[in-house]
Amino acid sequence: MMKVKLWGVRGSIPCPGPQTMKYGGNGACMELRVDGRDEIIVIDAGSGVRELGNALVANDLSNGPLNIALYLSHTHWDHIMGFPYFTPIYIPGTRMTVHGPVSYEDDPLKDVVGGQMKYRYFPINVGELASDIEYKRLGEEPNMDLGDGLLLSTKFLNHPITALGYRFEYRGKVFCTCYDHEPYRNLFITDPDHPEYDEAMAYEGEEVAQEQNQAVEEFFKGADLLIHDSQYTAEEYKTKVNWGHSTFEWAIAAANRAGVKRLALFHHDPDRTDAQIDEMAKTYCEPGKYGDTEVFFATERSEIIV
Amino acid sequence: MMEVDGAANKKAINKFIKRMPSLSTTVGKVMEICSRTDASPNELNKVISLDPVLTGQVLKLINSAYYSLLNKVTSLTRAITMLGMNTVKNMALSTAIIRSVSGAKKSKSLPTKKFWAHSIATGVCAKLLAKANGVPVMECEEYFVAGLLHDLGKIPFGDEYIDVLQRVQKEYLPLIEVERDLLGVDHQEVGRLIAEKWKLNDAMSSAIAFHHDVEAAPEEHRVRAAYVGLANMYANILDLGYAGDPFPAEEGADKMLEITGLTWDMFGEVAANVEEEIEKAQVFLQS
Repeated sequence: MMKVKLWGVRGSIPCPGPQTMKYGGNGACMELRVDGRDEIIVIDAGSGVRELGNALVANDLSNGPLNIALYLSHTHWDHIMGFPYFTPIYIPGTRMTVHGPVSYEDDPLKDVVGGQMKYRYFPINVGELASDIEYKRLGEEPNMDLGDGLLLSTKFLNHPITALGYRFEYRGKVFCTCYDHEPYRNLFITDPDHPEYDEAMAYEGEEVAQEQNQAVEEFFKGADLLIHDSQYTAEEYKTKVNWGHSTFEWAIAAANRAGVKRLALFHHDPDRTDAQIDEMAKTYCEPGKYGDTEVFFATERSEIIV
Repeated sequence: MMEVDGAANKKAINKFIKRMPSLSTTVGKVMEICSRTDASPNELNKVISLDPVLTGQVLKLINSAYYSLLNKVTSLTRAITMLGMNTVKNMALSTAIIRSVSGAKKSKSLPTKKFWAHSIATGVCAKLLAKANGVPVMECEEYFVAGLLHDLGKIPFGDEYIDVLQRVQKEYLPLIEVERDLLGVDHQEVGRLIAEKWKLNDAMSSAIAFHHDVEAAPEEHRVRAAYVGLANMYANILDLGYAGDPFPAEEGADKMLEITGLTWDMFGEVAANVEEEIEKAQVFLQS
């Protein structure tokens, strides 16, 4: 059995307040527990990771030193800003491995994540941490054997910097993340009258976009639980093209095409109020309306059994 | 006559390939494109793709362990779509910069700009012929890249290549024969080594390694190698640029026509476009 607990579901920036009490205001973070496995898997270190850290110290530390594998979807700030506030990193004996993608032009993962912990930003320097932290850059890899029957595959997604989706498989069950992600599209000029128009580029651009979108769907095919970027409505997206996020409409359609059983709409826009989400749920989450996939809005502190 | 020391030549070439720089004069163009925030994917694609060495290096970077992509990326269009403008921009920029400051040895025997003009002409011609013959549009771009890169194997040759080129001119011989005779190694073989180093795909590598011996190419890549072989011959005969081979062996032409299904008439059809495409490419050759 895999158990997923969502500690932060919000995109861009934490947004606590009376209007986000129900779905939550913390940034991306989730905890994955796998039956019989000591290691605690954490995906992303947005502001939600602070509460997770507190819970681990309260509930798990008494069983011995913490063994944590942190997987980062990417290194945009809203996905790493909670790291300095994650209490286990200050506890001697904690063993942690930070996995994540790094864009070609960027510094090593250790500097990108640990670079937040400099005196100018934070009172403690990354070099002063008492725990044992190892950093591992990840690329696109199929079926990594994590031991105990747990498999992990990764897939590059479409975002302004390199981002990875994660697919965990355990005893025939699949839990998959697909954020931050915008559907691939043809980036090349398609208007034949444009002076820079190039037929081959326009054509290939279209082919590649379709092919990549298909590859992403293949990646989360048949997932029992998919957590998918869905920051915008199709209408809102019109002015947010290239920002690296998906629409509800896209996420739902893609999940249905891929035979996903349950889809959690995730990475809520910080301006989205509880009332608005409740209203949207009437449309987007109506059973059977768009297909067989069960659709729901990700809610902070909720637990999902896979 | 002195005995050909093929082993020594190969050793020297291997050493060169190990620390091989590229040949770009488009560094400035790449830098300009990369410094502009309004540069379009089309512009970026165009600027990089007109430089065979840079194109190869960017594709090599993408296919390197760095990204460890499950499927090889074989074109810039694909690279830009999958990894985004910024990543490809940065790859091109850093590659170009590294290259421009590396100060490694350059072949004095083949003039860089003319060598490029030949490479571009071959690429353009291969693409246009493929297009004229009904090859799917998407694949045509790979024919262009294969044509651009087909003569990469000439880059590592040093001053000894001057003797080769002189004998070609003096005795009206096909370049590859003289290379084998005087150096004990030819540019196809060297090109294959570079293709391996740059992790180019088999189709690309075959075009580089067999454009003078298309029948020896693996069957599945023979057609593309033949297009590149014909395009190369065309560029050589019409003096489009200069890559040292003004008297190519013409015996293979009929076989290549047979393999590709092309006819001589089709060359006439693409001629006008070749000139125009090369004209455009000249802009990027002016540093």
